Amino acid sequence: MEVMLWSAVQAVLNGILTGSLYALVGMGMALIFGVMRIVNFAHGAFMMLGMYATYVLFDRAHVSPYLGFLVAAAMLFATGYLTYEGLLRRVVERSDFMQILLTLGISLILTDGVQLIFGADYHQINIPLLDVNVRLNQHVSLNAPWLVSFGITVIVATAMFWFVMKSRLGRALRAISQNRYAASLMGIDVMRIQALSFGMGLAAVGVAGGLLLPVFYLYPGAGDQFTLKAFVMVVLGGMGSIGGAAIAGVVLGVVESLTSLYWGNEWAVVVDFLLFLAVLSLRPSGLFGSQRV
Amino acid sequence: MTRPRALIAAAGFVLCMLVPLVITQDYQLNVLFRVFLFAGLGLAWNLVGGYAGQLSLGHAAFFGIGGYGLALFHGKLGVPIWGALALGVVAAVLAALVIGQVAFRLRGPYFALSTIAFAEVLRLSAKNLTSITGGDVGYQAPALFDDSPSRWFYWSAVVLTAAAFAVTALAARSRFGFWLQAIREDEDTAMAVGINPARTKLRALLISAALTAVGGGLYASLFLFIVPDQMLAIDISNEIAIVAMLGGAGTLTGPIVGAALLETASEVFKNLFHEAHLLIYGVLIVVVVMFLPEGIVGALTTWWRRRNR
Repeated sequence: MEVMLWSAVQAVLNGILTGSLYALVGMGMALIFGVMRIVNFAHGAFMMLGMYATYVLFDRAHVSPYLGFLVAAAMLFATGYLTYEGLLRRVVERSDFMQILLTLGISLILTDGVQLIFGADYHQINIPLLDVNVRLNQHVSLNAPWLVSFGITVIVATAMFWFVMKSRLGRALRAISQNRYAASLMGIDVMRIQALSFGMGLAAVGVAGGLLLPVFYLYPGAGDQFTLKAFVMVVLGGMGSIGGAAIAGVVLGVVESLTSLYWGNEWAVVVDFLLFLAVLSLRPSGLFGSQRV
Repeated sequence: MTRPRALIAAAGFVLCMLVPLVITQDYQLNVLFRVFLFAGLGLAWNLVGGYAGQLSLGHAAFFGIGGYGLALFHGKLGVPIWGALALGVVAAVLAALVIGQVAFRLRGPYFALSTIAFAEVLRLSAKNLTSITGGDVGYQAPALFDDSPSRWFYWSAVVLTAAAFAVTALAARSRFGFWLQAIREDEDTAMAVGINPARTKLRALLISAALTAVGGGLYASLFLFIVPDQMLAIDISNEIAIVAMLGGAGTLTGPIVGAALLETASEVFKNLFHEAHLLIYGVLIVVVVMFLPEGIVGALTTWWRRRNR
């Protein structure tokens, strides 16, 4: 009985740690989809790009992924800025239909481009930190890389929250999401702010990718499952709510972890999607949001 | 469709049916099978995605149910092969009824996302329920045709395309078709003039699902062995939507043009790039969105109208 209880505690803690990385992915999506209303189907593919950037730095230059993630974030910021300026800018005023198709196309190009360059093989990196476990008691222990990434995630998430809610740029961005036209009349450079914000959203995803590298398999399709999960988090957290998406990420992590414990790993993602469909049809404003979809 | 156009369509159908007299190689017939299969699937998708403007990215659900229906009704319950195909279609229509009830309450990106979620739940369940579907190990699908199968598969794909084309042509000029287009242009206004959007969209989805399931059954039977990652893959959903969008969503001939272009191009690229042939899909999609948002047929129609003005 006691062992069962502790295994549940272990599962919840693992879920929180995994969920914190989900939260980063979800916050990036909350910025891009929730606030900017860009339906980004390439979210996971961009994350995969961040993972490969961190991997190449580690593999060729022996840079630790815990530094490499910064480079991945910077790279994805630039990628996001350029993608917005070059492509997305021309479809934001058009239908969701076109945005979905365009980002789907970008996703295929990224995934298969990476496959063309690096091949379809699975990679996994080995760092000493992976063998370190922090024991809480006889039954519960936590893996060090997850703890480190949890710490970094908390810092990045706080910074992002501050950026959107408090900074001038974030205020301008939220003004645009409320009324694009009125915002431009107030002297806001809509296109530049949107491009910067898209870059910020992808930077968050880049951080997540870099931090996931040590604890995840790397292959060109590694990001695919995260695109849908990110949408799930934004909907769960309530459209436009950065904090909501972060909480939803942690919730998702815990739900997956408990599903794995009781029903098996293979059902975890199924539960994600069922939760998603249930929330969409029963409570479209999300678990924590007030805005209607 | 006006009479001369109907005659052209009929002549085109006869010509396509005669192709196996000239082309007899299995490989070439199989490539052509793929072209017509996806033309039929694209036309079926077009009813919902093009005419009604509801971007479904989960049509793999109906495709997979058609394929697994054929295999499981025959293999598990001993239903005769063609009966199993029909039951697969019925199962897909029932699934469409459920999916439509939930998904059509949502608009825009939420609709698209919910269709993906449904298809993914089905794919993952098919992977996990190994005692029924065989999971990733796969399940055997029965052969619909014993004698010179390549030819017969080609013919059935052409018939599927013709059926989907006929349904679309009839629908496009009927009240039902105009309702769909009214909903695409503005759902609230459509409702205000007395159209029931939920029921109209659902009807389109049911027809679309039935045709898609037939395609799934054909595909499963051609491969004789099916796995969830092939029959229910997101890639199938995407390919169906892309074929229709590339040719021109909401146009009658668009999906056929799209399928001809995309499937032959992907065949060429498969041989050139092997693993990364989806790259061409990506590039094509980006080019279409940026430069040909109405698709090839849509853009040509606009150009033709402008010229003749």
